[in-house]
Amino acid sequence: MSNYKGTREAFSQALIDLAQEDDRFVFVSADSLKAMRATAFAEKFPDRYIEVGIAEQNAVAVAAGLASCGLIPYVGTYGGFITMRACEQLRTFVAYPGLHVKFIGINGGVFGGEREGVTHQFFEDLGIVRSIPGITVVAPSDAHQVYQAVKAISKIDGPVYLRAGSGREHVVYDQETPFELGKIRVLRKYGNHAALFANGFILYRAIEAAKRLNEQGIQVTLVDVHTLKPIDAEGITAILQECGVAVTVEDHNIIGGLGDAISKVSTEHCPVRIERVGLQDIFPSSGPAEEVADYYGMSVNHIVDAVQKVVQKKQRGCGCE
Amino acid sequence: MLKNDKSIDLQSKANQLRLDVVQMVHGAKDGHPGPALSIADIIAVLYFKELRIDANNPQWEDRDRFILSKGHACTVLYAALARRGFFSIDECRGLRSLGSMLQGHPDMNKTPGIDMTSGSLGNGLSLGVGIALAAKYRKKSYTTYVVMGDGEIQEGIVWEAAMCASKYQLNNLILFIDNNGWQSGDSIEQVSGLLPILPKWQAFNWHCQTIDGHDVTQIINAIDQAKKSPQPSVIIADTVKGKGLAYMENDNSWHKRVPDDEQLAIALKTLGGDVNE
Repeated sequence: MSNYKGTREAFSQALIDLAQEDDRFVFVSADSLKAMRATAFAEKFPDRYIEVGIAEQNAVAVAAGLASCGLIPYVGTYGGFITMRACEQLRTFVAYPGLHVKFIGINGGVFGGEREGVTHQFFEDLGIVRSIPGITVVAPSDAHQVYQAVKAISKIDGPVYLRAGSGREHVVYDQETPFELGKIRVLRKYGNHAALFANGFILYRAIEAAKRLNEQGIQVTLVDVHTLKPIDAEGITAILQECGVAVTVEDHNIIGGLGDAISKVSTEHCPVRIERVGLQDIFPSSGPAEEVADYYGMSVNHIVDAVQKVVQKKQRGCGCE
Repeated sequence: MLKNDKSIDLQSKANQLRLDVVQMVHGAKDGHPGPALSIADIIAVLYFKELRIDANNPQWEDRDRFILSKGHACTVLYAALARRGFFSIDECRGLRSLGSMLQGHPDMNKTPGIDMTSGSLGNGLSLGVGIALAAKYRKKSYTTYVVMGDGEIQEGIVWEAAMCASKYQLNNLILFIDNNGWQSGDSIEQVSGLLPILPKWQAFNWHCQTIDGHDVTQIINAIDQAKKSPQPSVIIADTVKGKGLAYMENDNSWHKRVPDDEQLAIALKTLGGDVNE
């Protein structure tokens, strides 16, 4: 098992490991080599490091060209610059032709952008890519999972967007925990009073909330939904049927991300009461990551309150309507 | 130098493609004939002389690549691919219809011989840079050709790509700019502050040439010169939008317009060739 400090280092190490085995792997940088912690990759594989400068649209379209010739480019830079600045290139020239390009979007969520402010806080990225046909969307929760996810997505013959962080991610999993693409992972099973679905670097808060709720006598099933698309509808439906009510927790606008994805599964397969914890469709501001997440509705207390609310609804008989 | 009979042959191929375009747009009752006719001579030189391609093996990995960045002109590309044997000319009747291999803009997964999906303007050069970089990395000898409209180089990504191609000294990349002076809304001069075009490419350290884009000999010679350059190469091809049909030439209403039966008859009379409708 490789060593790394955060999600960006995990990405870099995984790409190096992939590149050592297969000469089709290349890295496309938009002056993002240092931000991606990929300097070691460039040193080991100088002819596979393509630097286009501060030009994300070009980076994505160049990657499409490379992929059309059988290479497997990883494009890594800030998540919003991939999904917003270069959205059309991603959609029309990578997703539409189904090319083998992998996108690693760092600074995901308010947790990732924190003190930089709204220009560098990317809380719409997952929603944007989810709405594009043919693209796999992954939001792992820590460096160990990012390392494994970067390797797992390399096996998909098509486009993938993976959200990474900015060094403030908590460690949630041990190194050996596998990353099974497309499948939910039940992380804690205290009971079936409510389902708690979470993903990304905010998962540690859901773990803490589940623990506190258990101490209060509310037993939840905590689920990591690291693959947003394709969503594990079968696995999620089974949990919804078992618990009857649910709370979603995401470091993303509540439009387009995990809350929407779970709501869709619920609407189609098992209608239940759902509360969505996340950024409530407003622009946040600068501040330390933990404080910003707390202030904008993603604190452990917010999660606890949301679960208490749905459990009360369930007890009153208005959970599953 | 090119022999005269070869030049005449390519000119007649270009006119055949022009007629195919008019027939396709007339049949589909939709399409962009003007922009297609302005690049017919460039397409004829590429597809009937320059490109190392194999109709029986469209995915041949050592083939030359072609990207029609101004994808709305795709009818002339479809005609060239059909005439080169990538698919039957009968397919051209399905242009823009549901289930057809010939989409409104080029689609690399639906049409044999299309190397890259294209059509949203400005992106073709970046895609070509990626393909040319792949050739360098893989030590392949193929050449990547891109055709862009003069209007579409108003897009910012074009200059991102220009910078990148120059940085990597992509001497295996040849860009034609179809310099017909028009864009969808009006003349280039009226719409944008783009002009003059040539000094911009010089400033980006490209090998630059200006030619008559309807003179097949000049097109061939320009490609020869471009291949000798250590830099990426741009060939600014001065053209006439709607070239070949008097009623269409320099009338920008033909950017997207369907010829009526009488106009089709004029095209048949002017351009000759086979009727395929």
